[in-house]
Amino acid sequence: MFVGEIDKRIRILFLILLVPFILIILRVFYIQVFQYKKLNSYARDLWSRDLELEADRGKILDRNGVVLADNLTTTSLILIPNQIKNKEKVTKELASILGISFSDMKKHVYRKTSIERVHPEGRRLSYEIAEKIQKLGFDGVYLVKEAKRYYPYKDLLSHTLGYVGIDNQGLSGLELQYDAYLTGKNGAIQYFSDAHGNRLQMSDVYIAPVAGMNVNLTIDIEIQKSIEREMDNIVDMFRPDMALALVVNPKTGEILGMSSTPDFDPNQYQKYDSATLSRNLPIWASYEPGSTFKVVTMASAVEEKVVDIFKDRFYDAGKVNVDGSVLKCWKAGGHGDQTFLEVLQNSCNPGFVRLGQLLGKERLFSYIDRFGFGEKTGIDLNGEGQGIIFPLNRVGNVELATSAFGQGPSVTPIQQVMAVSAVVNGGYLYQPYVVKSISDHTNSVVKEYSKVLKRKVISSETSAIMRIALEHVVAKGGGKSAYIEGYRIGGKTGTAQKQENGTYLVNNYIMSFMAVVPSNDPEAVFYLAIDNPKNTAMLSSYTTTPIARRILLDIIEALHIPKQEGEVEKDLEWNDKVMYEVPNVVGKDFAEAKKNLVNFKIITEGEGNTVFEQSPKGGEKLEDGSSIRLFLK
Amino acid sequence: MDKILFLTVIVLSIFGLFMIYSSSSIWADYKFHDSFHYVKYQGLFFLVGFFVMIFISKIPYQFYYRYSNIILGFSFVLLILVLIPGIGSIRNGSRSWFGIGSFGIQPSEAAKISLIIFTSKYLSSSEDYIQSFWKGLFPILGVVLLFFGLIMLQPDLGTGMILFISIIAILFIAGADFRFFLGGGFLGIIGVIILIVIAPYRMQRITSFIDPWKDALGTGFQIIQSLYAIGPGGLLGTGYLNSIQKHFYLPEPQTDFIFSIIAEEFGVVGALFVATLFIILFYRGIVIANRTEEVFSKYLAFGILFQIIFQAIMNLMVVVGLIPVTGVTLPFLSYGGSSLLVSMASIGILLNISRNHS
Repeated sequence: MFVGEIDKRIRILFLILLVPFILIILRVFYIQVFQYKKLNSYARDLWSRDLELEADRGKILDRNGVVLADNLTTTSLILIPNQIKNKEKVTKELASILGISFSDMKKHVYRKTSIERVHPEGRRLSYEIAEKIQKLGFDGVYLVKEAKRYYPYKDLLSHTLGYVGIDNQGLSGLELQYDAYLTGKNGAIQYFSDAHGNRLQMSDVYIAPVAGMNVNLTIDIEIQKSIEREMDNIVDMFRPDMALALVVNPKTGEILGMSSTPDFDPNQYQKYDSATLSRNLPIWASYEPGSTFKVVTMASAVEEKVVDIFKDRFYDAGKVNVDGSVLKCWKAGGHGDQTFLEVLQNSCNPGFVRLGQLLGKERLFSYIDRFGFGEKTGIDLNGEGQGIIFPLNRVGNVELATSAFGQGPSVTPIQQVMAVSAVVNGGYLYQPYVVKSISDHTNSVVKEYSKVLKRKVISSETSAIMRIALEHVVAKGGGKSAYIEGYRIGGKTGTAQKQENGTYLVNNYIMSFMAVVPSNDPEAVFYLAIDNPKNTAMLSSYTTTPIARRILLDIIEALHIPKQEGEVEKDLEWNDKVMYEVPNVVGKDFAEAKKNLVNFKIITEGEGNTVFEQSPKGGEKLEDGSSIRLFLK
Repeated sequence: MDKILFLTVIVLSIFGLFMIYSSSSIWADYKFHDSFHYVKYQGLFFLVGFFVMIFISKIPYQFYYRYSNIILGFSFVLLILVLIPGIGSIRNGSRSWFGIGSFGIQPSEAAKISLIIFTSKYLSSSEDYIQSFWKGLFPILGVVLLFFGLIMLQPDLGTGMILFISIIAILFIAGADFRFFLGGGFLGIIGVIILIVIAPYRMQRITSFIDPWKDALGTGFQIIQSLYAIGPGGLLGTGYLNSIQKHFYLPEPQTDFIFSIIAEEFGVVGALFVATLFIILFYRGIVIANRTEEVFSKYLAFGILFQIIFQAIMNLMVVVGLIPVTGVTLPFLSYGGSSLLVSMASIGILLNISRNHS
């Protein structure tokens, strides 16, 4: 073989072996350019360790921004076992500070993991314990901030708010339903570590936690506080089986307040039984409404023009016979001759039997359906009941007659309130809601809820007539104790006998009161029910209305409802004080003022003969004999 | 003497020292509480290797021609001895070392050189041998397979393959018949199949390089860790000493996978730098082989050169995931004293050949 041939073959091999070098360079280029993203993210997962920073849970606020569900910051213990140098010593010290056994602590300290949460002993540490641990200054022992849910008003609105578990996860109520919004995005301190878990000296990445979104409710804390306070009073006074209250804005369906008893403190929900925790009575409870249901019957009758409540008259003999069943009026001997307006004022059962008969079962039950009974209102809360309405084919004359005065149908409080709202707001049946909007932590609104109209049930003319009728009930009828001087308030009481297994219980009633304020332009519809109150007269007008009146006063103040003109004057009873309107005497001389103020006691301030100021001012109503202060100069 | 070759080797080795420091300092500190532990040893071997290279470059290469049989016999004995427990020591799963304290000598390194010397002499002694299978190729293949077999007993597949392929390459340039290579290739495939049947883990190695994530904690582990170094380094690299993968993620990054760390810290620029140095080295070697007029020195120069370059290619292709993991180091750059010493000594022989003929 020639030497030249050898040299040629050597050169050929040189050229062949250049190919793998080129491949290698291209491969490096490919890995570092085209696979960079994938490999870099995989590698970062491998290198980085996250020290999680818990995001604040979103708050739940009332309509005016008062915080109902808040966060308290607490401290928790976190270990990074690989960074702990003297494990024996760390275990011993931590065990003694936390008050747990050496072997329990050892499990945490020696665990083969990158980050160990000492759960549950190391969670929610008190300040003193956290400080002690901090002072030790051990490597690999960290204290991180954690937020704990806190309900500053304790049992206020508890059923609606719900509660959270130890990891701040929503377990019930709005906390559960809006958990996705309320839960924030946890942040982290991200650092690179070597394969042994030691922190590398490179800059840490701080990923800020993003707080959860706030849920803004339609609830008004002042109204809510008022009904909660009265719930407590009711429990003290009457020891009822249950009690509930509900306040709604009839123009929108917004829930302004809702409460029931028994309730619970969501800070310590573990202490209550599941029935107490889960039953949000204003939307869950279902029972025969009693006389408050008469509002629906009368509105239907007016809408169908079967009666003119101001002119048409009805004679109540105290009882009425329907197909052999004798239906009695609550007043022995009956109410005698009365207009249908007075039938409502007197809550006269035979009168409503007549209205039911005038309407017939098709029309009455179609209105019952259209007012939303027998179906869920669709409120944005879990656990709503839907009640039971007779199917039409099972409605005989007796069922028609009793349903007309509120016996037979089983309904929920929220259904009644929404129906009455429709009766007084011009005829519009709205879907109730409790969440007004959702806003992020910078308070900018990300989602807003507004009123949802389900249907128009009655005409605005009928609605206007019903408002007057309901005002009469409070001024002259069974709702008198709820009358508030200067304000136009409509209402209707109810006393429903409770059924158990198809028979009515003796001396066991649900007493209720439905109110509308102000009745000329309703801002709030309010419903109160007390189940089986003890130590009281078995008539709602004596039990519920005085309590309702106190709540109504708070509603008026909370909603800044102005005084109205042209109210229906209240019928006086023997113990009612006579009210007089205070005349304006400013600018008059003292003698003339004195003449105008005969019904009042006069107190003077300063010297002189001319009145330059008076208190109270002209136009207010005061009881006979009240004091008027006049400033003279 | 070929100054470019000389300088290339010096630059490669010194760059190697810097990279050994960068990639090993963390491990060294962890194991020996001295981050300079590895680089100190490698530096010492580099100094020794430097003088050995100069010294050998002054020994006329005819020396090897004369004593080739003795050299071969000597390395054969070493290969036998290293297999005997108590004499040879196990490192990284192979009984392939003579350990003296923390120094180690791998007889397989010497076997490669001695076999190349032997083959060069044998083929150059008669023109006829290369044309005759029974007279020429068969005895050589016999000796090569004997050595290959001994190395596989350690076992050290990578070194065995380099040794085997290097001899085949010499046979090729010597003008062996193409039918021989076809037959050899056929036998090679059969051999590979037999090796896989004997030790099925080799099959896993082959499949795992295609998708290392299939067995991310087992056979794919090393290549994944290597990719995690190269990829995030990006085109420009993270900068000298800034590798993250060397922090215990990549096992012993100063040896087989030092190129990963180079690519991590210097990006594609570093990869190009290393490849270019090897190509220059290769090219200068080719020039020396072409210029020398004796057939023996041509074979010898080419053989020495080829086994260095082939080893480098194998190492680099493993590191970038082009072929399965074989466990060979990167000449001049990877940590390993005896390997550096033998490589520099080999270059000394090349330098002597260039001295005599330029």
